[in-house]
Amino acid sequence: MKVIHPRPNPIVAAMYTLRDLDVDVIVVHGPAGCSFMASRMIEEAGVRVVTSGMKDDDLIFGGSDSLVETLKLVKERFDPKNVAVIGTCASMIIGEDLRAAITRAGIGCNVFPVDCHGCMTNNTDGAIKAIEGACRAGMIDDGEKERQIRLLRSATAAERSTGLTSKQYLTPVRGPTKMNVANTIADAFRSGKRVACAMLAKKELAYRFADMFLALDTARRKLGGELFLAGNLDTELGLPRIRRYARDITGELESKGVSIDAVIGGLDEYAIVGERMKEAIDGFAPDLLILVGMPHMYPGFSEDDILITDQPRQLSNYLSMGCRLAVGEISSHSMVMGTRTIVPMETGDTLREIVGE
Amino acid sequence: MRRIAIYGKGGIGKSTTSANISAALAEEGLKVMQIGCDPKSDSTRMLLNGKRIPTVLETMRGGSDVTLDDIVHEGYGGVLCVECGGPSPGTGCAGRGIIAAFETLERLGATDAYRPDVIIYDVLGDVVCGGFAMPIRNGYASDVFVVSSGEMMSLYAASNIASAVSNFSSSGYARLCGLIQNSRGIDSEDTLVDTACREIGTTVIARISRSQTVQDCEARNMTVIEGEPGSAQAASYRALAKIILSLSKDTEGGMRAIRG
Repeated sequence: MKVIHPRPNPIVAAMYTLRDLDVDVIVVHGPAGCSFMASRMIEEAGVRVVTSGMKDDDLIFGGSDSLVETLKLVKERFDPKNVAVIGTCASMIIGEDLRAAITRAGIGCNVFPVDCHGCMTNNTDGAIKAIEGACRAGMIDDGEKERQIRLLRSATAAERSTGLTSKQYLTPVRGPTKMNVANTIADAFRSGKRVACAMLAKKELAYRFADMFLALDTARRKLGGELFLAGNLDTELGLPRIRRYARDITGELESKGVSIDAVIGGLDEYAIVGERMKEAIDGFAPDLLILVGMPHMYPGFSEDDILITDQPRQLSNYLSMGCRLAVGEISSHSMVMGTRTIVPMETGDTLREIVGE
Repeated sequence: MRRIAIYGKGGIGKSTTSANISAALAEEGLKVMQIGCDPKSDSTRMLLNGKRIPTVLETMRGGSDVTLDDIVHEGYGGVLCVECGGPSPGTGCAGRGIIAAFETLERLGATDAYRPDVIIYDVLGDVVCGGFAMPIRNGYASDVFVVSSGEMMSLYAASNIASAVSNFSSSGYARLCGLIQNSRGIDSEDTLVDTACREIGTTVIARISRSQTVQDCEARNMTVIEGEPGSAQAASYRALAKIILSLSKDTEGGMRAIRG
């Protein structure tokens, strides 16, 4: 099926992966505006992003001089340890030799190429290129590389079966307010029902979605009922940065007296934890199930479940499946970039307001 | 204005043929502009007695101000010589270069300034990518001629060029007008070329025999028209030039034809 709505870009996916790897500087070898919006986001997370600023001359005569000059400036200005040079449509179509330019620049730190471009079929292909480049450069071992590639392929497969690439066109929507969803949760607690929440969060988005745990805990204490929390917050899995996110979040939850009943998988395992999460949740046998983060990665989610996503198109996807209790925490991504603490959700705040907190 | 593109496999004699056609047309009193579309930029060398002229791309590189005087140089018989130029082998994108060079010529109003009767585009080898198809689309050239010998690889390239042209024909751009046989003297060459033309769906418009005169004149940095004007070879180029003129369309417009 031909999918025609815009969707994540392999170059940007490579950049986010390089951020996860704690690369100091990302050099985008391409036009000055290529991945501009994403670069700003990644800079919020503390990574330097620079561009070789290719011009028409570089397209015609080759852009390696621009890249060499950019690398030298990077060395001078930032004195980094690890630098990744990533390809773009412009540089890769004209067959730029990134490694040769890196050698020629000779800036004396760990610089590695990532041969990605925008026309790779899946955005995760760009992320895989970044992982492979980092492995060759000695930043991760083969085991972690294989693990990452497996996770990325699973994510692509899940998107294709139930997510963003499962429909030819999805209209982005903001969806309904959070009032109905928050009332449904409050009613369940008031009537002493069993409420479960499974968070399948993609990396840094956990800083936002974990607020649901806080809000639900507050509501249960005020209204009664029972609560079961499951989340992919394993602090021993994934790249160092990802583990740090998990430590930040579990630490904050603990400090606020909220404990997670089932920690299942790491923050980069959102695409493969669904089955195990379902098992744990089914054991609790809830009356109401709340799925936050990537609800479509949870097998057999139903129209009666509350689904909370940050993606306007994903929300449209859920609503089109008849999931009437789907809501969107739109723009979450920009809110969590660079944060080290949990960011309140609109759904969480609405629930807190209802219970008078 | 006649807008003619000459394509063919590398080394098959496109530039020699183009330069001799340009020289022959100039002798007839026509204002001819020959635009070399090859990063080697040697299309117009025989018209300029071996002199190298600054290419469009090297002149505009780095955003410098280009004027027509920098890039259009008069050669034999007043032929206006232009070389698009391009990157060193193995770097950059020559196809993008052709596009940028054409845009520059258009922006500078090259056709308004010189009012040529004929523009001849001499295009590198095969139509390897969109850039090298530029002359045959967007109204730059109206009539395409392919130079080929009877050698298989050369005919194969001719067939590729023909299919590129036919891909654009529906949009009303250039049309294939025929094949110019530049003989290599191989066995049954005429038959081989005729057979290939039938398959491609075109005809041989002229057969140029292999002749030492061509090499002798090139050694003197001249076209045959200039170097050996009384030779049989010069006569065959003159005849070819007449045929090309009769087969090509005369259209209005600037760098691009205005189609009715």
